[in-house]
This record gives sequence, C-alpha cells and structure tokens, in this order.
Amino acid sequence: MKQSLCWLGYFGAYVVVSVTVSMAIAVADAPRQTISDAARKVVKIYGAGGLRGLESYQSGVLVSPQGHVLTVMSTVLDADEIDCVCDDGMRYRGTLVGADPSRQLAVIALETADAPFFAMAVEDPIDVGTRVFALSNLFGVAVGDERVSVQTGVVTARVPLEARRGAYEVPFSGDVYVVDCTTNNPGSPGGALIDWQGRLIGMLGKEVRANASGIWLNYAIPIAELARGYQDILSGTVPPPPARDALSFDPRRLGIVFVPDLLDRTPPFIESVVSGSAAEQSGLSPDDLVVAVDGRSVPSRDAVQRALGMLADGDPVRIAVVRAGRVVEVDLGPRPPLRSGREVRVPAGKEGL
Amino acid sequence: MRFLGRFLDRVRYTPASRILSVAAVIAFQWLAAAGQTRAEESMGLLEEQAFRAAAARVARSVVRIEASSVSPSAVGGPSEAAPASGPSTGLVVDSAGWIITTTFAIPADVDEAIVVLPATATGTGSRLAARVVGRDLSRGFVLLKVESPTALVALESSVPREKLRVGQWAIAVARGWDITTPNVAIGVISAVNRAWGRAVQTDAAVSPANYGGALVDIHGDVIGMLAPLPADTAGMMLGTELYDSGIGFAVPLEDIHRVLPRLQSGETLDPGVLGISYRSRDVFTGVPTIATSRPGSPAAEAGIQPGDTIVSVADRPVTRIAEVRHALAPLYAGDDVELVIERSDEKVAGTVQRISMRPRLVATLPPWQRSVIGIVPRRVAVQTETNRTEGERPVVIDWVWPDSPAATAGLVGGMTVLAVTPPGKAAERVAVTSAAALAGVLGGVRVGDAVTLVVLDAEGQEQSHRLTTMAMPADVPAQTPTREEGPDGAEVIRLEAPEVAMPPVAVIPTGDATDPVGVLVYFTRPHGPVDIAEASMWRVAANRYGVAVILPGSIDPQRWSRDDIRGVARSIDSLRVRRGIDSSRLVMAGSGAGGAFAWLAAEALGPAFRGVALLDAALPRQATIEPSEPGRFRWVLFDPPRDNGQLPPRVENDRNRLIQAGYGVGVLPERESQMVPVETLCSFVEANGLL
Repeated sequence: MKQSLCWLGYFGAYVVVSVTVSMAIAVADAPRQTISDAARKVVKIYGAGGLRGLESYQSGVLVSPQGHVLTVMSTVLDADEIDCVCDDGMRYRGTLVGADPSRQLAVIALETADAPFFAMAVEDPIDVGTRVFALSNLFGVAVGDERVSVQTGVVTARVPLEARRGAYEVPFSGDVYVVDCTTNNPGSPGGALIDWQGRLIGMLGKEVRANASGIWLNYAIPIAELARGYQDILSGTVPPPPARDALSFDPRRLGIVFVPDLLDRTPPFIESVVSGSAAEQSGLSPDDLVVAVDGRSVPSRDAVQRALGMLADGDPVRIAVVRAGRVVEVDLGPRPPLRSGREVRVPAGKEGL
Repeated sequence: MRFLGRFLDRVRYTPASRILSVAAVIAFQWLAAAGQTRAEESMGLLEEQAFRAAAARVARSVVRIEASSVSPSAVGGPSEAAPASGPSTGLVVDSAGWIITTTFAIPADVDEAIVVLPATATGTGSRLAARVVGRDLSRGFVLLKVESPTALVALESSVPREKLRVGQWAIAVARGWDITTPNVAIGVISAVNRAWGRAVQTDAAVSPANYGGALVDIHGDVIGMLAPLPADTAGMMLGTELYDSGIGFAVPLEDIHRVLPRLQSGETLDPGVLGISYRSRDVFTGVPTIATSRPGSPAAEAGIQPGDTIVSVADRPVTRIAEVRHALAPLYAGDDVELVIERSDEKVAGTVQRISMRPRLVATLPPWQRSVIGIVPRRVAVQTETNRTEGERPVVIDWVWPDSPAATAGLVGGMTVLAVTPPGKAAERVAVTSAAALAGVLGGVRVGDAVTLVVLDAEGQEQSHRLTTMAMPADVPAQTPTREEGPDGAEVIRLEAPEVAMPPVAVIPTGDATDPVGVLVYFTRPHGPVDIAEASMWRVAANRYGVAVILPGSIDPQRWSRDDIRGVARSIDSLRVRRGIDSSRLVMAGSGAGGAFAWLAAEALGPAFRGVALLDAALPRQATIEPSEPGRFRWVLFDPPRDNGQLPPRVENDRNRLIQAGYGVGVLPERESQMVPVETLCSFVEANGLL
C-alpha cells in the first residue's frame, strides 16, 4: 500500500511534468513561438488624424527595456496625446522623445520598466528571398489586448525608395526592403518585419506608390537605419533632412541641352551640345536619346536631372544614349559639386515634425 | 497506476533509479520537443534556401526591359496616353539574342526597347538596343531581338503543364526592381488552366514590378512568363487591376516555345476568330446553340447556320458555351479547328443530323452592320433559361416600324412569326421560337439581302413574305405606340436591395401588371442620395410607355464610381422580382457626367443594355469602342447643345467613331427647354425592341 502510494506520487509528478512538456511543445512550435514572442513587442499607437484620407492610428515596436517605442514619423504623432496600447492591453500615454525626419522615424517613451523589446542587433544585409513575418495593426482591427495582425512573405527586393511625389512624399532616400505581402495598409506603418528566427529586420513604412511603376509599395525600412536613427534621436544628433531641390543637377552644366520639356514626360533627347563642354568632348551629339545615367534608367528629362543629382560630387558621370538603334556609353568625367542644400541643419526633436 | 507500478517493479530498479528512469523519460520528451521545434524552424529555412536556389537557377536568363521612350503616343499624344515608364522584365528564350516580354512593357506603337543584361561578377549590367520582331496578341507577349557580342543565357527546362499541381510552390523571379539581384515573390499554383486555357494562375504577388518575369517551381524549372492577362469574366479589361489581389497569371513557357519560330520570322499572331454568336448569354450554363454565323466568316463559309449546336471541338465533346471557349481561345488565326455540329431536321421532327467541318480561323471579320426588317415583337419576360433549353416564346408582332420592309410588305400587329429562311442557295428554313432566334438569323444577313418570313395572320392563315433587309435606323419614330395610362401616373418607390449602399428611386408603371416593362436607368449629375421628388417628372411617361425608370444615387457625392454600377445591377435584379422585364428593352441614359457614366455602366453590365442615351455629354475619354458584332450592338443617342445646328467637335468625333464601329447612332432634335426629354427617352426604350 505504502509502495503504491509512493508510485502514485511518482506518477503524479510524471503527469504534471508531462503536461507541462506538452504545453511547451505546443507553444514552442516554430514559427508560432517566434511570432508570439515578437507580437508582444509591437504596440498599437493612436494619435491625431481621422480626417479625410488620414488615419489616426499606426503601429510601433518596443526597442528598449525603458519602454522606448520606435515608429515612423507621421501626422498621427502630431497630437497632444499619443496613446500606446501594448500586447497585454495596457494603455500608456506616450511622450515624443524626438524624430529623425530624414529617416522618417520617431521615438516615443512609455512609462514602463519591464516591457519586452526587440534588440536591434542585426547588422548584416538581409538577402532577397528571406522569409519574413510582418506584424502590425493594419486597418486598426486589433483593439485592446487583441494581438496585432501577422502577414507572411519574403523580401522581394532591396532597392532605393523612389516614391512617387505627391500627397505622400517621402524624403527617405536609402535602400528599403520590398516585401511580397500587402503591408501597404492604414495602420501598418511602424509595424515590425521579422525573420523566421524572430529577429527584427525592418519597420513597415508609410503608404506610398512607387515612382517608376505607380503601384503601391510594400516596403520596410532596414534595421541598420532603424538602429542609427534611434541612436541619433536619443543623442540629439539627427541629420538634416535633404533639401527638396538638393537632388537635382542641371545637365546644362555638363554641356547637355535637352529638347524643351513641353510634356509631362518628355523623353530626354539631346537638342544641342555646348561647344567645348564635357558633353562635346565625350562625343554626345544632337538627337541622342539618353536612356541611363550611371546605370539608372532615365525615362524623362526630369529623371536625368535627379539621377545626376544622386551622384556624389566628383563621381564619374557615365551616360548611355541610343544613337541610330544602338546603345552607346560615354563618360563625362567627374560631376561638378551641387550648389545648394547640403549644409542646411534642422534641429532635432519636435520641430522636425 | 498499479500496472505502471508493477511494470517498473518487475524491472527491479531501486527507488533512486526509478526516479532517474522517470526523469530520463521526461528528458527524452523535452529533447524530442526541442528537436521538433528545430526541425520545423529548419524546415522553413530549408524552404527559404530552396526558393533562393530556384531563383538563382534562372536569374541569368531574367533581363530588364526599359522603354527607350520613343513611343509616338507618349511623345505626341496627351500625357495620359504615356505608357508605364517603369522598368519591366524579359526572359531570354534563345541564346542568340531572343527575348520575350509582355505587351505591358512594349505597347503596340513601340518597336524598340532597351534590354539590360544582368550584372555579372565582372561589372554592371550592359544595355543593348532591342527591336520588336513578333507579337502574340492572343497571350500578350512580344518577341525582342538584341545583337549581343556574347551568347546570352537562355532558360533551360520548363515544366509541362500536365505535371503542374495546384498548391505546389511557385516562385516569381523578375528584374523590375534591381538589376543586380532579381526580385522574388513566393506563392503557390492556384490553377493550371485559367484565362480560357491560356494561363497558369498563382497567388505569388504579380504586379508591374515583375510582369515579364519567370514563374518557376521549387527546383527552378520554368512554369511560364508572368503576364497581366485580363480576367474578362470579372469585368476587367487590362489585367493590371489585379495586382496585390492574390491573382497572378503566367503564360506557360511550352506555349511560348510552340510559336517561337513563327514570331522569329516576324509574324504577328492574332487570336483566332470563328465568327459565331450564341443564343444564350450565359457562358457557363448556356448550350452552344448558334444565334448568328457572320456573313463572310469562317463559320459561315464552313456552313454553320443559326440554330446549329456545337457538340464537339477538336475531338473533345462540348455541352456548354464555356467549353467551346476553352477549346477555341488558345487557337490562333490560321489554325484549323475540327468542329462537329448538330442540326435538327425540319422535315423529320425530332431527328438531328451530325455534320463535321474544319473551318480555318481568321484574325478579323469583315465589318458587321445590323440589319432589320422593321417588326417590333410584343414584350415577353423571358424566364430563366434551363440548362438544356432556352425560353421559347412565339414571336407576335406588336407594331410595325414606319417605312420599313415589314410595313411595305403589309405586315401588321397581331401576326405571329413562324419561320425565317436566310438568303443563300442551301439555306434552310429556321423555326422562329423566340425573338432572340429571329435576331440571330438577321444578324447573319447582310443589309440589302432578302429573307423569307413565314407568318400566321389573325385568321390563322400562313403567309410568306420576302423582305429586303434595311440598315438599323438612327432615330426613334415619332409615333411610338403607347399604353393605357392610369389616372395618377406611375408609382414611385425606393428600391431597396441587399448590399446596395445607396438604393435608387424607381418609377414603376401601374398599368397591366402582367405586361412586362422596359427599363431605363437614368444617371443625373452625381449628387449623393436621390430624393423621391426627383422622380415625379417621370411618372406620366413611365406609364405611357410601360417603362420602369431607375434613378441611382452616387455613393460618392462628387463622382460616379464602379460601386454604383454594382448597385444598379442589384437594383435591376430586385426590380425583376416585382415585375417581369423585357430584356430587349433596356436603356442606360444620363446627362452631363451621368451621360458619360451611362456609357461606362452599359459597357460594364454587358450587351443586354443595348440603348444608351447621352444628354449634354460625350463618351468618356477613356472609352474604347469595340467593333459591333451580333450580340454586341448598341444604339446610341446624343443630345448635345448645338452651335448654329453644329454638333460639338467631341460629339461629332464620337458619332463618327461609333458609326465606323458599326453602331446605330442618332441625334435628338434640339430642345428648347432645359427639361429632360422624358417622353423621348421612354419611347426610345420601347423602340429598342426593333428587329
């Protein structure tokens, strides 16, 4: 009898531990665990907006144990009261710590001390084809302690963000990760892009259309930019936003005169070449059609100016033209310095908004 | 538990080792759990590696296509005509410099482009000028040729379509974004035989960023080229509307290779046309019984007649129109197709003959003009078709069009049309079982050719009349017959229907409830919800001509939208529940912005809305006018403000385009007041019943 009781004890212990283990198996299910761990670090942000075409909510990620939330800069944060709702349903009044207008990032502080957070440790570039999860409060469907929504996909491309200008102009000009799931939704900006190991690799950007194709872009700002932006905001050394016209270079300074820009997208046909200029020396001639500057496609005159502007001072100017049905590449030597824009300094912090 | 105790007892462990053994079991379970976690994680990462490897296998053959920005329409025309300027993608199909891409990248008026070869280890991608050699207008792709000093890397292996399985991995590989690393999107095969047999469907993200790219399987074997094929059954014309929707298409590489030699020799491949239309409008349930065999078409030359039913195409039995389309759509102009038709024998009732034929498909048919004889049949509310038989209703003449062949021959209201014999030596008498059957026969008759009509007069005597057909008249006759009017005019209600956000106001005739109504949908300038009071001016005319008038509201108070069209379609369904509708008398009309929208709504809802009236409006600028054909005909009335009797240039231009395309076009006489010509519009609805 006594031995029986003893066995009962053993067996009881076995059952308790077994059940614990099975539960562990259930939640340790990859990628479920990965997602669940990450979702606890994503917050729902509510602020200003709600007017026609502008949403009053977005997402953000916790990046420090002191409750720092990194998110994208937007009109949502342009409010006296920014409410942040964490995964456990706790609602915090957020304080705007500062913003980085050139990277389109902002940091909000929450009054919490033990929040789970993403380490911003990944520095290596993420390869195209990497499987990802996007976690965000798209369309604001998650409320209170409801978990943010999860989408799955891969990194489609790593390309410079050349968003269509207009209502959603984005000055951020670095590389972004384009993903193949539709993350371009109200409420998604500021959401987390994680890989299958649960590492934060990017932050979902604002709703924009691609400049080239006019299609809506599903993209994320890479982790390296996030980490730098976060550090800069905390230390108050935010770089100035690029001046609007800083990235345009007049091709006449190289001796290229294009046909008049009568239409919206006038093809960049050369009308004349200034004698004695770099253009003339390189062999460019009237009626050449410029198709690429430094390997970038330039479908319009405007695109040529921008492509020249994106070169650094002194970079070699390589131009491809179509002449009598053949592509000819010419070298115009170093690009002269830009004359405006680069020295503008904007104070960090709230003014940036 | 006793059992467990005894079991452990039997193996005679000490108590300490018993604890150990339990611990071992638990530890084993822990390890298994952790192992499982790792297995699933590494499974996912292994798949990720497989995706990358598959993409890398074809990457060298995936090139970038840039417009060389010399599209005449982009340079000379308005800026809205400019093609998408973004880079697109192409695939190397032959190492000698043959590259395919989509018509999206190379519009019809462009004959050259720039091809950017992938960057190699040695340097950046090099640009080559490419010229267009051939086009496949059926599947929407273009063959380019570049002169390259070195051989290109062509795609190697393709997956035969019959090996594809729904649900297997599909990886889209393209260069729309980046020249160094191809962009990828992952999904599965959603269907293997879409777009009438021309495409494979995937849920991988397909958009202008990867049109022209490759769809490959997990091994990197090529399934096809990503292309924006239109999902015409969903009412989409371009195919590009589908991006981000979970629907993408790829043209199978084996289909491309099959026609490559023809394209290389400089051919343009057109979709093959047979020249028939069907009696049933329902593609999916309708039986492929011929309504019209176009004069001069391959169908007519092969001897296909109205009333024949296609029972086999290319040795495959068919019972539905959709099956015929599936079999014919992949074919090109110049292809021969084996057809078997069944024809009922007029002499021996209940027997059918089977006739085999082998018409050769063509690219375009001779222009078609609608011919009429001048009778307007009594209205019928056609019941829904059953699968096998169509609604058969005797055709009773209601009234005869003034100065028409029927009027000259002495036909009068009340006669029943029994049969018609089309012109031609071997032509056989076709029983007229419905107005649609008669319309079908007339659709195959050239204007000026004679038909023989057999009618039953009021005394029950058979008469035979030879009628020389005339062209569709342009104007509504002044004396259109009217109906008995009630004392108060038609009833005005709000036509609520499920899922209609902005229910329209409807004016419904109060006369004989068994008399089917015609329908006029009238769009005013968009102004949000419609007030009941706006309907009052229609009440008298609606009763007089037996026309139900629907006045839709706009969801957006500023503009009409696609959702409004859906609302109209639902409202008509809801009206059909209350009253029988004569489906030959359906008209869309509108004034100003509503007029242009009336055209778009008629196009969206299909050929059933034959009449379109545009008051103070021209066609929308983006309107494309398909050539008319039997079953796709419109009668358009314009009513623009006039300058010394002259039409505004835009309306004049629209009118000429429509006439050119074979449509009936009339211009209403100039009005003195700003009042909507409600009488004319309602009599126009009745006049649409003309045959």
